[in-house]
Amino acid sequence: MRRRIVTILVVLVLLSTMVMGFGAGCGLKYTKNVLKVGVAGPMQFIMGRHHWLGAQMAADEINKAGGVLIDGKKYRIDLVQIDTNELLSIDDAAAAIERAISVDKVNVLVGSIRTEAALVMQEIAMDNQTIFIVCGASHTALSVKVGADYERYKYWFRVTPINVGNLVKTSMILLNQVGATVRAQLGIAKPKVAVIIEKAVAGDPLAAAAQALIPTFGMEFVGLWRPSPNATDVTAELTAIRDSGANIIYTYFSGPAGVPYAKQWGELQIPAASVGINVEAQAKGFMQATNNMGNWEYTLNTMARVKITEKTIPYYDAFVERTGGLEFPTYNAGTYDAIYIWKEAIERANSIDPDAIVVEMEKTDFISSAGRIVFDTMHDVKWGPGFVTAVGTQWQDGELVACWPIDFYGVTYEGTVPYKLPPWMVPGG
Amino acid sequence: MTVVRYLNWLWREFKGEILVLPGRSILFFGAVALLALPLVFRHPYALRILTMASIFAIFAASWDLISGVVGQLSLGHAIFFGTAAYTSALLNLNAGLPPVVTIPLGALAAVVAGLAVGIPCLRLKGQYLSLATLAFPIILAGLVMVFSSVTGGELGVSGVTRLAPTRLKEYYVAVVAAIVLILAVWKITDSKVGIIFHAIREDEVAARASGINTPLYKVLAFCLSGLFAGLAGGLYAHYMRIAGPSTLSVLTSFQPIIWVIFGGIATIYGAVVGVFVLFPLVEVLRVAPELRMLLYAASIVLVLRFMPEGLAPWVIDRLERKCPRCKEHNAFTRRACRVCGTALRVPQEKGVPSGG
Amino acid sequence: MLGNILVNALMNAGVYAMLAVGFSLMFGVARIINLAHTAFYMVAGYCIFYLVSTAGLPLPLAILISIVAVVVLAVVVYRLLIDPMREHETTVLILTIALALVLQEAMLLWFGGYFRSVPAATAGYATILGVRVSFQYLLTLGVLAGALVAVWLVLMKTKLGLAIRATAQDREIAEVMGMDESRTATLTVAIASALAGLAGAIVAPLYILEPRMWLNPLTIVLAIAVLGGLGSLKGSLFGAAIIALAESLVVFLVPQGAFLKGAFSLGIMILVLLIRPEGLFGVAFEEER
Repeated sequence: MRRRIVTILVVLVLLSTMVMGFGAGCGLKYTKNVLKVGVAGPMQFIMGRHHWLGAQMAADEINKAGGVLIDGKKYRIDLVQIDTNELLSIDDAAAAIERAISVDKVNVLVGSIRTEAALVMQEIAMDNQTIFIVCGASHTALSVKVGADYERYKYWFRVTPINVGNLVKTSMILLNQVGATVRAQLGIAKPKVAVIIEKAVAGDPLAAAAQALIPTFGMEFVGLWRPSPNATDVTAELTAIRDSGANIIYTYFSGPAGVPYAKQWGELQIPAASVGINVEAQAKGFMQATNNMGNWEYTLNTMARVKITEKTIPYYDAFVERTGGLEFPTYNAGTYDAIYIWKEAIERANSIDPDAIVVEMEKTDFISSAGRIVFDTMHDVKWGPGFVTAVGTQWQDGELVACWPIDFYGVTYEGTVPYKLPPWMVPGG
Repeated sequence: MTVVRYLNWLWREFKGEILVLPGRSILFFGAVALLALPLVFRHPYALRILTMASIFAIFAASWDLISGVVGQLSLGHAIFFGTAAYTSALLNLNAGLPPVVTIPLGALAAVVAGLAVGIPCLRLKGQYLSLATLAFPIILAGLVMVFSSVTGGELGVSGVTRLAPTRLKEYYVAVVAAIVLILAVWKITDSKVGIIFHAIREDEVAARASGINTPLYKVLAFCLSGLFAGLAGGLYAHYMRIAGPSTLSVLTSFQPIIWVIFGGIATIYGAVVGVFVLFPLVEVLRVAPELRMLLYAASIVLVLRFMPEGLAPWVIDRLERKCPRCKEHNAFTRRACRVCGTALRVPQEKGVPSGG
Repeated sequence: MLGNILVNALMNAGVYAMLAVGFSLMFGVARIINLAHTAFYMVAGYCIFYLVSTAGLPLPLAILISIVAVVVLAVVVYRLLIDPMREHETTVLILTIALALVLQEAMLLWFGGYFRSVPAATAGYATILGVRVSFQYLLTLGVLAGALVAVWLVLMKTKLGLAIRATAQDREIAEVMGMDESRTATLTVAIASALAGLAGAIVAPLYILEPRMWLNPLTIVLAIAVLGGLGSLKGSLFGAAIIALAESLVVFLVPQGAFLKGAFSLGIMILVLLIRPEGLFGVAFEEER
């Protein structure tokens, strides 16, 4: 008889904790003069971490300067950390966003990285007319919706990175820069280009574009390789690329495969300059991850320690300090700029009504750490000289330096250095 | 029968079939609570959790059917879920069909997948079978990437129509679907076909020797399991408004395994218990995200080691007792079996000598 | 091109074989399909990383400690969790999956989702048949050969080896003959996990450390083990060679389909299971006939 009673008690306790947990979660939270910013990202991974760090920096600075001024009243910014776990589970991300909106009652969402999840999160945010500022997912699938159904999707913006179409355009500029270097330093009039693009939907149009455009750059296309985005070994591809006689490898890696690629490329000293997009190469941990073999990898980047604007270097240094010197900012830390843009839009609108804020956000003309941010009709960041151009960054002797833009329609960021070919390609190098 | 006589009959059935056993009562009142909940409590977050739990409960029950009841351990159940999710989403997006059409069609596609998996696996037993099932969703995921222009590759198929116009209606669609479908699965296991399924699990050779066409029933089991998993997949696609490669992932295959093992394998109600306990628990544990997954996986190891029957049977064991003679379950409060009248022994208090 | 394919295949075959041999051993003797085998390999890799970069120990010492740690972990887990459930094979299967997930989450918690690198024992590369092969790959082959010789010596020349072989052939009779089946199984688990740990030391530097790194090798190991015959060491070697060759062919002949490597291996696995479940060199076991 006692056993039965114990069992019933256990079951009751289990049930009541669940109900309490729910209740506590769903309870009303009354807060005065506070604005809540939901920072959404995979917090166990570097992207989420940077989402959070960038947001923290912005919130700390704004609060220290007195907060957000609305109607003569000062509002404090409170951050809500939302671990979406989106790299591993879309359901988790959806539930987390729902919880942030309906339970934590956030006023705005910033972050996200994985497009499959960002699409779902976008739907939930739009359902609730919550402003959602993306700082990570680059796909245009998110922004076309703003054009297709403006009234529903107008609350969506993207502050970083520039969308994938512009990323590709800019990476081709880098390809040409490297092509020019190969011509000048190696005396090869028509460099051969091998293209390696991870198997991802974003890469498909790029593969087609690359094949079509490379001949127009005065270079020869010698082959296309498509490894899995999670590949841990690309020596086979690299061997074949070397066989093809390529002088340049044009890359697109947004996932983990970028690390073994660079590592094995450096280990085997493949005699071809690597240029393109390699997201993993943007982070400080890249050197350790590649066992210091990742030098000379040249990737498009959003951020570098050069004078893109007045704000860039102070922001960069502040971020490095905040991580104890362990990391420097990647594009995900653009939540810093996102929050500032949102804050200024609120102050101009003088209201927390999302519709009013959206109107003001569309008028944004903001000097950020990444460039001058102005939104286009799809609420994407405008690309071009004088706006956000992105930067080309190369690992030289363990340091990530910026090598582009140099005289790009008259734009040069102070602090850029010349691009260098890998020493094993240059005779006597 | 007049209305009054019908109501009387209903009441007697209710008392006789459901109230008589604590286990069934809990499930019944649980279902009623789910249906009645929105009358008092309409928080969108809570509704989301319960809607997803309902959809996953269908998925878990389908896994229990093939792996628990028929004993063909499926390590790649995501194939049915994902096939249906993609089919429903693609039909919805390209042919403009509404959910009420796409979901059954998606489930049909999953049944075809069931054939594609079940027939080749007829020759395999035990661990070999499980290994084979593991491979199918991974291969399909590869194909999804090959035909990325159609399937959207890693972005999935998005822009799928909502399951129902409002969050509340979606909740009811999911809950009612779960109740109906899980009852259907349970009924299958409780029928003549179910007996054959149990027999195949217990001793396939003996079943074969008794003249049962075991290959036919095994394929049937795969198809039925695929059907229910597919319905869950279709519901999922329309609820999340996206069908992506995550629906074919290894994690999606493992989730029902975790839920059903935790709740109680081969019982069907164990699947429901497992999902409705673990899924909200994981949400509540969001307060400690670092430990969440670890505790999840660790609890499975512990359950398997110390409570291998699962949580639900463990609880049922305390609340009900099996009659030694006719094997019928009785509430623990009873002194005599409700069917055959045999006296049910009440366990002695510790330290009290029996007899004498 | 042919030279490329062959050399590339040979390199990968060595790597895969290192991972597959221990796995096969465990099934052959203890009848356990240990889906956490590659998770142990991951743990060894992380141990080495931690010991070298955070604790600053020299590489050989770190490798030794890591192997011991993995063996201890495996044996403890085996005795506490798996041995009691040995009779329920499918339960054990699920237990090993859960175990792999626990290990993955533990690594994620401790080290975060970042990519790390295990320091390589060697640097530089050699050129074989016109193909550049890093010395670490060649080291893998060397260590593999050494490990196989050691395992062969143990199996053929020691009493323990005799017990292992006898138990693998017929568990019940071996027990009747006086061999302690439980102890034999435990020792086999120890040897298999030591091989996994060694693989972590030698193979991990070729790849990248991250909490989900055990999934891909697992599918490859399964494909090899099934192809070669679950439980057959000779089968593991042949299976590794065939799978490596198949993958190499895919990458070189269909460069745009390079991402299908993994699916290809699994397809082979399914074909083998359907046509000849015991694989190339496996034995159809008594219970399964």
